[in-house]
Amino acid sequence: MADGRKANIFGIRHLSPAGAYYVRDFFERVQPQLILIEGPSDFNEMLPSLTDMQVKPPVAIMAYTKEAPIRTVLYPFAEYSPEYQAALWAKEHGCECRFMDLPSGVVLALEERKEDFVREKETSVSEKEKTEREAASQKEMNFPKNAADQKEMDFQKEADDQKEADFQKETDERKEARDQEEVDPVSYIYDRLDQVCGEDTHETFWEHVLEQAADEEAYRKGVALFGENIRFLSQEKAKGSGTEERSDKNCLREAYMCYMIDQAASEIPMEKIAVVTGAYHVKGLTDGEAMKEKEIKKLPCVDAMITMMPYSYYRLSMRAGYGAGNCAPAYYELLWKSFCEKKPEMAAYEYLARIAKFLRNSGNPVSSASVIEAVRLSAALAQLHGYQIPALKDLRDGAVTCMGHGNFSQIALGVADTETGTKIGALPEGMSQTSVQTDFYQRLEELRLTKYKSVILQDLQLDLREKLNVKSKKAALIDLERSFFLHQIRILNIRFAKQESISQEKATWGELWHLQWTPEAEIQLVEAVLKGDTIRQAASFVLKEAAEGTEKIGQVAHIIEEAYCCGMPEAAEYGRRTLQQLAVDAASVQELSQAAESLSLSVSYGDIRHLDASFLIPVLEQLFLRACLILPESCACDEQGAKDVISGMERLNRLVRDQEFIDEERWLKVLNEIAKRDDLNTKLSGLAAAMLLERGRMDNLSLGMEVERRLSKGMPADLGAGWFEGLAMKNHYSLIARMSLWESLSGYLDSLDDQEFKRALVFLRRAFADFSSAEKNTIAENFGEIWQINPRQVSEIINDNLSEGEMELLADLADFDFEL
Amino acid sequence: MEQEQKVLRLPAEQLYQEEIDALIQAETDPVPEGWKMSPRSVLTYIIGGRAGTKQITPKYIGHQRLVEIAIATLVTDRALLLIGEPGTAKSWLSEHLTAAINGDSTKVIQGTAGTTEEQIRYSWNYAMLIADGPSLQAMIKSPIYRAMETGTVARVEEISRCASEVQDAMISILSEKRISVPELGIELPAKKGFSVIATANTRDKGVNEMSAALKRRFNIVVLPSPESLESEMEIVRSRVSQLSASLDLNAQLPEQAVVEKVCTIFRELRGGVTLDGKQKLKTPGGVLSTAEAISLLANSMALAGSFGNGRITDYDLAAGLQGAVVKDEAKDGKAWEEYLENIMKKRGSKWLGLYKECKELNG
Repeated sequence: MADGRKANIFGIRHLSPAGAYYVRDFFERVQPQLILIEGPSDFNEMLPSLTDMQVKPPVAIMAYTKEAPIRTVLYPFAEYSPEYQAALWAKEHGCECRFMDLPSGVVLALEERKEDFVREKETSVSEKEKTEREAASQKEMNFPKNAADQKEMDFQKEADDQKEADFQKETDERKEARDQEEVDPVSYIYDRLDQVCGEDTHETFWEHVLEQAADEEAYRKGVALFGENIRFLSQEKAKGSGTEERSDKNCLREAYMCYMIDQAASEIPMEKIAVVTGAYHVKGLTDGEAMKEKEIKKLPCVDAMITMMPYSYYRLSMRAGYGAGNCAPAYYELLWKSFCEKKPEMAAYEYLARIAKFLRNSGNPVSSASVIEAVRLSAALAQLHGYQIPALKDLRDGAVTCMGHGNFSQIALGVADTETGTKIGALPEGMSQTSVQTDFYQRLEELRLTKYKSVILQDLQLDLREKLNVKSKKAALIDLERSFFLHQIRILNIRFAKQESISQEKATWGELWHLQWTPEAEIQLVEAVLKGDTIRQAASFVLKEAAEGTEKIGQVAHIIEEAYCCGMPEAAEYGRRTLQQLAVDAASVQELSQAAESLSLSVSYGDIRHLDASFLIPVLEQLFLRACLILPESCACDEQGAKDVISGMERLNRLVRDQEFIDEERWLKVLNEIAKRDDLNTKLSGLAAAMLLERGRMDNLSLGMEVERRLSKGMPADLGAGWFEGLAMKNHYSLIARMSLWESLSGYLDSLDDQEFKRALVFLRRAFADFSSAEKNTIAENFGEIWQINPRQVSEIINDNLSEGEMELLADLADFDFEL
Repeated sequence: MEQEQKVLRLPAEQLYQEEIDALIQAETDPVPEGWKMSPRSVLTYIIGGRAGTKQITPKYIGHQRLVEIAIATLVTDRALLLIGEPGTAKSWLSEHLTAAINGDSTKVIQGTAGTTEEQIRYSWNYAMLIADGPSLQAMIKSPIYRAMETGTVARVEEISRCASEVQDAMISILSEKRISVPELGIELPAKKGFSVIATANTRDKGVNEMSAALKRRFNIVVLPSPESLESEMEIVRSRVSQLSASLDLNAQLPEQAVVEKVCTIFRELRGGVTLDGKQKLKTPGGVLSTAEAISLLANSMALAGSFGNGRITDYDLAAGLQGAVVKDEAKDGKAWEEYLENIMKKRGSKWLGLYKECKELNG
């Protein structure tokens, strides 16, 4: 077939509104008897479903392997997909329609091989190839000019002399670049295209030159030429750069498609066959060699399942599936609608008006004048590049400048809503079995949980410890694996598994689950497919979303914990990142110390789940450092605030004790500072001194000096006694044993007048409240010795019930304004 | 010519006269009314390129698209407002835009807290006013008035420093595009080509918030700090070498590694995130603009030249950094310490010397 197939080939880009519109014009003109569409030929069974009136795009057809690891290929269709419109046209006009690409099983098998394929090949570049590439770059340079020559295609004048000059300059750089890298040839070509056109993205080039083509013929010829050039250049580029394998796959596909066309031509005259295919393949299908029957038999193939599922604009914009995604599905839908209404300029107006509307609804006044200015500015921007109709980039820049006061962030939500949109496709009930469902059932079986999938509620006890009396490792840890799986289900909000609390002694290694299956769970399961193709992927996605959305440190620590429960340390990494970010802004010692404590727990007890938690250590260190830096400032607070700081200090103190990697010297330095400073809450200074004492970092001498200083005459009573209260919060025994301490205290009490004594009394009572009765006795003995009274008498007085007279005194005290 | 060279700084259109002439010579695209060259040539003038055989030097290194938006705004006869932090080349860009569009960047109003409404519209030569009464001869036209007469672009620098009533005077001028002079009973409609480029500071003390009404009359372009480390280094390097030549700093130009370190620190602290995007940072209160990085390096050169061996050492750098980063002692000092401990310390041996010096200084 070297002289070229006479079939009517219409080149497209997947998800191209202009393509979708013109492909119908094309069919009207050609009046085909058979339409062949690029897409796995085993998808044919899905065609009736796809064109079902109840199916609302965006939808996707997905093929996936039955055996683990599950592989998927995904073919999304939007309303403005040329393929979808082609199929619809066929249905409306009673024309036969088929997919013609390699069956999905073969595609999946090829994917598998690709992964096994080790990339090495450092072939030395021969002189001949070099000249070939020189030629390629020449051709590349000429490409925009070629395009410009096609006057009838409404191509804008593309390459002016200025750009030519730029080329010359860049050629040298390019040579260098080419010698080093081994990039994918196609994306390389696109990158070059961007540079040449002076655009950030070839989307804009595509939109200006092809989406805005004047009519069907301009579009068809333009796309064919575009595809041919890309094809030629990338093939040239692929030679000798070790990436032939990609074009190998394309060759296979094209040869197969040629075979399908020739096959069809044996029933129907070639002129009555219409072919819809990607721009890249137009040339290959016209001139290519068809595959032989026996070659087809040799193709690798795996068992694949096919399902149709609802899809969303959001996922389309993420470019999952086909490489050629769509950065702004909702905007492209606007383009499609304006095509259908035959008012191509409408899309621009509607785009800007929609953003304005969104902004107004969210409380930002945007005047119509601003919208008009945005329209004018985007037109001027397009003209600056020599185009008449603004493209998405021009519109967005117009909106930012005129409605967002120059800040993209001000209109970002409106732009996301208008460009990406929230549309989700819909299928009539009972049409699909998704990959997540398959994965779910498979894992149920693997984990021997199938019997729990019933409408009757059943209990499942898990023991997470490794069982030593079984043969295989897998069996030994089956309960742990089950726990991971059930936690993933729980996180996905699939109402199948519910965790119950369990008695204390088993808490670290035991789990109790209630399992019950409901039809509702099935729906939730299908919905999970939008989050990922397997249960695990979906759970990971949920955790990632959660981690990115939280602003509280405590919540993030919880997410990390969840990730551990699910056995997905990679998801814990998202949490770690967010935690690190939040730690920078977190203001309070309280929050920081709480987060540090829960991380510290994860680090210490991560073992039971056989997971490595050491990557949390740097964050933990950072939290600790930050807490240390702000701690002295936080200590300047009132009684109320001191409570939080005390718990924070206790936690940090424990952290220093529990984790070896924490910088103990820094902690001691901070404690020293707090203990020494006079301008902080004295209770906290006292506590810091107590902590130092506990670690043996404060000797008797300096303690004595500190006591003298803190409890000297002239120091307000509440401050002095408050300090003592802090000091007495720890190490009761060692304090009691220090006689000098009690002497100072006694001397201090003597120096107070009545009013001051009453005040000090409140704090001292509180200070001694935590001491046990025996400890109080010992203290009494100490004082007895100092005051030279019989210790027993003192002890009696202290531990005795209050007498009436004393009750009165205390009643007086109750009137006393303690807040002073 | 002799005289010109003694001037500290020439206006852009005189400095780059040859380039502007070459661009006008090589013009192929349609030229808007009142302009000297086409929008595309203006773009070439600003971002650099080629006109015929003449190489055009880039004036603004950075985001090409922003320059395009600025030019397109002026094409649609809207006023342009350039907003940005100190040291992001706002005035620089506005001067070069007017130089290219009109060949005249001197119709400027320098906005200050003392700017009055008369300076925006027109005022009088009072001697003549008293002697002869109001007449055209006695009128002193403001740069904006002259721009309206000639259909050219006027510049208003630091518009946010003007009092709000002065800013309000701009509103009617921009929407009506005419000034009336009741004393003479005349009205001046703006000729085609008239527009205004204003600049305003976002992060400074002593600025008056602009009213929504005024903002609405401008297309606003926010000039960002340099996009990438490389472009910032490029700007810093070229400006430092220009500076050291004119100031006779007597020290070696900073090495590539030194420029890289300074730019890295500035970018990371300014952005509040490490360059690899992995770690968030506390940002200090200061602006840390590119202009500051330039003066920091020039300063370090002066230190090294006057008191050292002529090569910038880590010690010289640390002193400059401490001064640039820590402006408000308590808060900035902590942010700086966190940066030193969490980031710089872990960067390995290349950074060790600088880390030690900085730690020493920060105490």
